[in-house]
Amino acid sequence: MNNKTAELYLSFAGIFHRPHPEIAEHLEELIELWRGEIPESKEQLVEIEDYCRKYPLVNDRLDTLWEHYIPLFETGDIEAIPYASVYFNDNGLVLGKEAEDVREFYLSCGYVIGNEKQELPDHLAVELEFLALLARDGKTQKLAEFERDHLRPFLRTILPLIIKSKRPVYSSAAKTLEIWQLNSDRKGDSIG
Amino acid sequence: MNRRQFLKYALYGAGGTAIGVSGLGALTKVAPKSAIATTNTEETTVFSACEMCRNQCPIAVKVVNGKVTKIEGNPNDSGFGGVICARGNSGPSLLYDPQRLKKPMIRTGERGTGKYKEVSWDEAYTYIADKLKVIQQDFGGESVAFASRKGPHDWFFRTIGKGIGSPNIFSHEATCPMTRSVALDSMFGVEAIAADYANAKYIVSFGRNWLEGIHIAQTRAIMKAIDNGAKLVVLDPRLSVTASKGEWIPIKGTTDLAFVMAMANIIITEERYDKDFVERYTSGFDQWKEAVKDKTPEWAENETGIPKETIIRITREFAEARPQAILDFGWRTGLTPNDFQLRRAIMIVNMMMGNFEVPGGYYRIKNASVTNRFPEMTGYAKALGAINQPAFPKPVTSRIDGTGIKGIPGQLIPEGDGAVGQIVESILTGQPYQIKAWMVHRFNPVISITESDRVIEALKKLDLLVVCDVYMTDTAMFADVILPECSYLERHEPVYDMSGLTPKYVLRQPAVELVYPDTKPSWQIYKELGEKMDLGKYFPFQNIENYISRQLTPAGLSLSQLKQKGVWTPEGMKPFYLRANDSQASLGNVISKVSQKIEFYSEEVQHATKQGVPQYKRHPQPEEGKFRFVQGKVAVHTNAGTVNVPVLNELMPENSLWINKASADNLGILDGDDIIISSGIYEHKGKAKVTEGIRPDTVFCYHGFGRISPELKRAFGKGINDNKLILNQIGEVGNVCTSMTMVTVKKA
Repeated sequence: MNNKTAELYLSFAGIFHRPHPEIAEHLEELIELWRGEIPESKEQLVEIEDYCRKYPLVNDRLDTLWEHYIPLFETGDIEAIPYASVYFNDNGLVLGKEAEDVREFYLSCGYVIGNEKQELPDHLAVELEFLALLARDGKTQKLAEFERDHLRPFLRTILPLIIKSKRPVYSSAAKTLEIWQLNSDRKGDSIG
Repeated sequence: MNRRQFLKYALYGAGGTAIGVSGLGALTKVAPKSAIATTNTEETTVFSACEMCRNQCPIAVKVVNGKVTKIEGNPNDSGFGGVICARGNSGPSLLYDPQRLKKPMIRTGERGTGKYKEVSWDEAYTYIADKLKVIQQDFGGESVAFASRKGPHDWFFRTIGKGIGSPNIFSHEATCPMTRSVALDSMFGVEAIAADYANAKYIVSFGRNWLEGIHIAQTRAIMKAIDNGAKLVVLDPRLSVTASKGEWIPIKGTTDLAFVMAMANIIITEERYDKDFVERYTSGFDQWKEAVKDKTPEWAENETGIPKETIIRITREFAEARPQAILDFGWRTGLTPNDFQLRRAIMIVNMMMGNFEVPGGYYRIKNASVTNRFPEMTGYAKALGAINQPAFPKPVTSRIDGTGIKGIPGQLIPEGDGAVGQIVESILTGQPYQIKAWMVHRFNPVISITESDRVIEALKKLDLLVVCDVYMTDTAMFADVILPECSYLERHEPVYDMSGLTPKYVLRQPAVELVYPDTKPSWQIYKELGEKMDLGKYFPFQNIENYISRQLTPAGLSLSQLKQKGVWTPEGMKPFYLRANDSQASLGNVISKVSQKIEFYSEEVQHATKQGVPQYKRHPQPEEGKFRFVQGKVAVHTNAGTVNVPVLNELMPENSLWINKASADNLGILDGDDIIISSGIYEHKGKAKVTEGIRPDTVFCYHGFGRISPELKRAFGKGINDNKLILNQIGEVGNVCTSMTMVTVKKA
């Protein structure tokens, strides 16, 4: 377990949360982190760099991120529904058993969804954020358990959908995350 | 901030003390004592009101550990008997649908391209307020139109319109049963007239389809009547499910009025009407008698295609059953431009039979203000209180649809409803003046108003379109601002009066907390928007609980009391028919006409339309090779509202075009074939359903399919959108006309 793991998880959480000015502003930092820790994702990082060059201003980045985030994750004909329950329940609805299970997992580790920035507990970004916090706090066993029981099965379903969307930044980030997770699997260790 | 410092700061905070993820994250650290997983199962039942259609049936919502697991009918309401329809039952799949709207959004791309960004509620309100201010300054408040699906949200939604001085406030009723409302108002002085189907012995429907256009209480009443041996006759070009439960008379489209007038002719000729009732309670019988004197069964056979023997037989059977005999006044979109005269004629024939204020007939809805006019009924119930608002600015112009203008048909249009189709005309033509902005609440004009392509053309011309809904509807995808309303299972609403033969109040209350936390109830949306627009004084309540309490207190009730059962009716009060025991009882307290009579001939209608009693007008019939295109409701969907709801979409994802087998054979069309339907202006692809259950000169499809919004993922492009084909024609009293379009059909 090290700080890099926490930063990596947080970097992906930041990408997959709703577009945020801080993330838009610091995209280059994420690229730098990923280049160092996930060198196999070179091709994807070039794509994100190209995006950053095309949209140097934060507001432009935000607008284009929204343009892609909404159809990809948020409303209507969603290309990659970001809630795990939707994939693990028969009925394809939110707030199913998986949402309740991860919410209880968070609670067992002393975390809840905050009042200010509410989100469903099984949102992809929230799960990634949770793992960042576990990594930061050195909770290795819990982290491995959550990855095994919740995150990995979810990623196996949703990452191909995001990659397939070919939406700038998101598709590349999803592929990068997939590469990182595959590498971790090959190493046979818990992430970090 | 230096590179790589950003993530560290977010994780560890300035001094390494962060407990969550600063700024970015959703999770918060809690004290260990809170970190205990819930192991107990908590089950509750919340009594509320459905909103899967406009009827708002009382429901019982089963909640397990904060999650809705099932919805049933509210057993506390005997009229509904604990029953709910498929649509009501599907509520949880709407509530937990990942395709719902979740955040306010502002458009960033061209209209209809689906490019939006999410914004805070305050940003959304500010955007709308600023835009409206400019439009108001440049073009006046009247240039802003408001349209909603009628419901308890209207008090709040319409306050915005009234506050800016717009006279152009509309409901969806012109696309629904407004012609009936006009007919009732013109005859009784009030729209609040209902039918006691359960006790009827003979029921004649003109296209009314209780078993597919479901209103639980009325559908149950019809089934009860049938179970008790009542005869049901259904005149409809198509064999509906309701028609299959009785005698189906495949009447030629748009000729219903001929049938009704012939019935009157027979009843008068054979003196089968209730002379005492007609003399005592009605006016204008002589003019009506004159109007139908030549409307013989022979004449009607030629018009309707129904053998005169059948017309005579049905009329005699109907008359034999009086007063427990109902010619149904209908609850559907207007069929023809003069549809309201059909509804008037139907009610005239009913009143000729004296079937008013008796079991098995029609009655004035007995809300508290009506029952308290009768000494023996006083004290059972008190009226709900009103929330008083300061005087609104007086609009400086008339409405765009002529509503309320004396001497023209618009005089008859209910002011609270209007002719909603006129909004599209005014946008496109600038007549009588230009509408520049359109506020839309839970209404989908692209699918609900005829000629969808013209509606879209109109939407593209607006300076501002705001849509408040739960889904990214076909109309929302053209909006500048989208406001996500929470579902009916997550919100309170003003208590509404659902009185029938006794007074009744129904409560909608949240069954669960918000699923998507940034959605809001309509009362809050419009109150907050109003405050942003300096209209706060028109929203003189703190919150919805305060609003409801002020409604209930004058009625001697409390919110906590209503929460317990979800519905309130006065104990011990029996169904109140004014003439049940006294056939000569005064109707003065239930008829609101100055004449105190049920007006067969109406001076008001004469003044507005030059037809004080209904006169027959022959509408065109399909030429060789063409078909009359008609539409109707299906039991598992509500018009333009539910086709994307997961469970309902699974039950019926698309419609098809019903075509008679002989007609299909002539065209070489087989069941299930791909076809092209053409109105001469518009074309639509679809699939054929070849059946004997429709007239050879008519084709039919269920309404609400063929959605054009790709955001309605499950419904997009599936089936036929009838309103793409139905040509725009605004009826005499502002109604949409659904049976006037002729089409050709060919194999694709």
